[in-house]
Amino acid sequence: MRLRRFLYLGGASLIVLIVFTLDVIRKSVELEIGGLMVIRDVLVIGGFALVYLFFELSSADRDQSPVKKLGLALIASLIMIVIAVGAGLSHDQGFDTKDLSLLPLDYPTLFLACIISLSFGIFAVLIIRVLRDLVLYKRKRGSQRNFLIFIALMTAGSASTLMLKPLDSSIFTGIFFGLTILFGIVNSFRLSWIVYLTKREKIFSLIYGFFLFGGFLGLNILIQNSSISKSLLYYSYPLKHFIQSVTIFGNVYFGMAFVSTLFHLPTAEAFERKTSEVTSLHNLSKLVTQVFDFKQLVDTVTSMTLQVCEAKSCWLEIIYTGDDIQQDGVQGRHPVVLNPGAGRYYVQVAGMKNITQPEIDMLFPAAERTLRDAVLEERQPIVVDDIVHDSRFKRFRKDKAMSGSLVVVPLLSHSGVMGILYATKETAFGFFKDDVDVISAFADQATVAIENSRLISKSIERERLLREMMLAQEMQKRLLPQSLPKFPTLEIDAISTPAFEVGGDYYDFVQLDQGKLGIVVGDVSGKGVSAALYMSEVKGIFQALGKMYPSPKQFLVKANEALTGSIDKRSFVSLIYAVIDVRAGQLTISRAGHCPMLLVSKEKVGYIRPQGMGMGLSDGPIFSDAMEEERVQLHDGDVCVFYTDGVTEARCGEDEFGYDRLLRTAERCRGKPATAIKEEILETVKTFIEHKANHDDLTIVVVKWCGNSIPVE
Amino acid sequence: MSDFKVAQRESNSISVLELKGYLDAHTAPKLEEAFQGLLKSQRFNIVVNCKDLSYISSAGLGVFMAYIEDVRKNSGDIKLTNMSPKVFNVFDLLGFPLLYEIFKDEAEAVKKFFDKAT
Repeated sequence: MRLRRFLYLGGASLIVLIVFTLDVIRKSVELEIGGLMVIRDVLVIGGFALVYLFFELSSADRDQSPVKKLGLALIASLIMIVIAVGAGLSHDQGFDTKDLSLLPLDYPTLFLACIISLSFGIFAVLIIRVLRDLVLYKRKRGSQRNFLIFIALMTAGSASTLMLKPLDSSIFTGIFFGLTILFGIVNSFRLSWIVYLTKREKIFSLIYGFFLFGGFLGLNILIQNSSISKSLLYYSYPLKHFIQSVTIFGNVYFGMAFVSTLFHLPTAEAFERKTSEVTSLHNLSKLVTQVFDFKQLVDTVTSMTLQVCEAKSCWLEIIYTGDDIQQDGVQGRHPVVLNPGAGRYYVQVAGMKNITQPEIDMLFPAAERTLRDAVLEERQPIVVDDIVHDSRFKRFRKDKAMSGSLVVVPLLSHSGVMGILYATKETAFGFFKDDVDVISAFADQATVAIENSRLISKSIERERLLREMMLAQEMQKRLLPQSLPKFPTLEIDAISTPAFEVGGDYYDFVQLDQGKLGIVVGDVSGKGVSAALYMSEVKGIFQALGKMYPSPKQFLVKANEALTGSIDKRSFVSLIYAVIDVRAGQLTISRAGHCPMLLVSKEKVGYIRPQGMGMGLSDGPIFSDAMEEERVQLHDGDVCVFYTDGVTEARCGEDEFGYDRLLRTAERCRGKPATAIKEEILETVKTFIEHKANHDDLTIVVVKWCGNSIPVE
Repeated sequence: MSDFKVAQRESNSISVLELKGYLDAHTAPKLEEAFQGLLKSQRFNIVVNCKDLSYISSAGLGVFMAYIEDVRKNSGDIKLTNMSPKVFNVFDLLGFPLLYEIFKDEAEAVKKFFDKAT
């Protein structure tokens, strides 16, 4: 890159030096070599081509603002004028005219001609680049073609002068020159860059355009000045043709630009506004997907409304109709507003700009029916053209503190109005239809953003709850026995599965004195978390009192006393408590409202159902009077099944699993080990409910007595 | 499945709630509402007719426990009648017959209220 630039510049300088040397020789010695002048002109053209390439490489500034380009052209044209004027003043020695050729009379003239031609040439190259960029700005299909035709005509015109002597002229050159000017005019209609300028830039462009037009007009006149014209002609006829084409094109183009800018100036503001609307909406929609910070979002919406509509103040209210207040994390007060139409709702100012809460309250008093209610009902933006004289704001006739116009736009979502966006202007009749449209567009974006942020916070909350539940499930599993008690006379197996993450079913064992084992199975009324919390309490009570009261009835009475105080009157716990003498096979059972124990024995197959009452239903004597205790002597191979209503009330459509099915299932597999019996009951229940999710917690504890083969001590 | 209805009737000074369908944790609020309504209008002599009650869960039983105290404090009562054997079994397992008067027939329950009043 740098090397190429160096080469271009070096090449150009070399050519200039060669040409200069040639001219100096020509001045002193008469050279009459045929074709030498043509070669010299070709060299000059080549030199300027290198300058063009050098500029092309050194500045990749195509995206520079058009105004800056205008400035550049202005500077170039001014320097050209200064040089031209300077040259015209300082020297008027002139040239000797001979046989249509020009000969400088002295060295300074020669030198000056060189300087003028080179500098004009370089600036002409610069200006044609600027013009090219401007013409091709937002190019269409034809624009590039037209410009290339212009360049081609200009080049052809220059080429046609190649064989001419400086003061000669040809009909071709004239035709090409005319066509060049014509296409220059055609290209001068390519002024689309003006449209996209801001108002400020347009003003600058107007000033630049004026001076450029004037400057180029002056240049064109100066070039006609005999001394400069002769200097250029002497140096190179094609170069003069090129420079003249460029200056005339520049003159026409900048003249057109000036006029066009002048016409665009009145619409500049509107155009600028539309552009900023589009930009703000674009930014906002980007923000909607990126920002989950509610406060920042509200801030952006309000400040954009302020900016785009040039409003005096703006604020955003969130309307809550239910209990979902504060879920957006907006701090603030919630004045209660009573609305006869839509019921009670709450209003919270989520963000405000250039207005204070007292001012808002003055405009929309909480206790009155206001415009806010109208918007909530109509779900349409409402424009108040003149607050002071509007019938809806009667009280402001005396108080002139609040005057001007107001727009109230609802934030509409599928579930209703979720908020309201307000904007005010100091002047009456300040809001037009397009203001309302753009504020509505902002309101729509805000709606999406608010819904988004609510959804996200909801899903975060849900995730948190899920994690908590998983933790609770893990903990509850640990509340159940981690290992089953082992005795030579007893086979025991148990299972408990909650319907949800956690449940209210409970079973436990406690080792008592004198070779006795306490077995408890219970069910807390209800399901889920509340049941699980009571269940852990029952566990505590059982572990604490179990060892102290070896009689089941006594234990249950004491446990009821402990529980009644802390349990909600709507809830209760059913418990069945059996104590087995692991040596003698004697079972004592008491039932606090729980499902009866299923006994599959040699003598009897049926339910053992001593009278009893659920715990937490009543305290004191009513409970203890209700409690009975039953004794059963177990024989080898007898099976006891403890369970919760998740087994008997397992449903398939309208049909319940029931006591009979349980009994028959247990009877069918009574010969199997305890684990197999448990599995079989579970499998039968699952098959019965067609392997759908059970709607209740389910617990099964199977105890099989196989003790008679072992001698009793 | 979760169909549950409460119909309310007034016979003299006694309010009769007729329960129909499946009373569980989801449908219990309907019964709560009915009880709240009765208590609000100072009607404490309540008969609950369970003729068409096909199922009652522990949450359903809890509703009766929630209001009995207030009703009895106002010298009223909740009496239960016309239970199917299956529903009665659920009440019976938990010892409800010791806490509530349960009758085979609604008329018996109504009569009991009048006997007490006279």
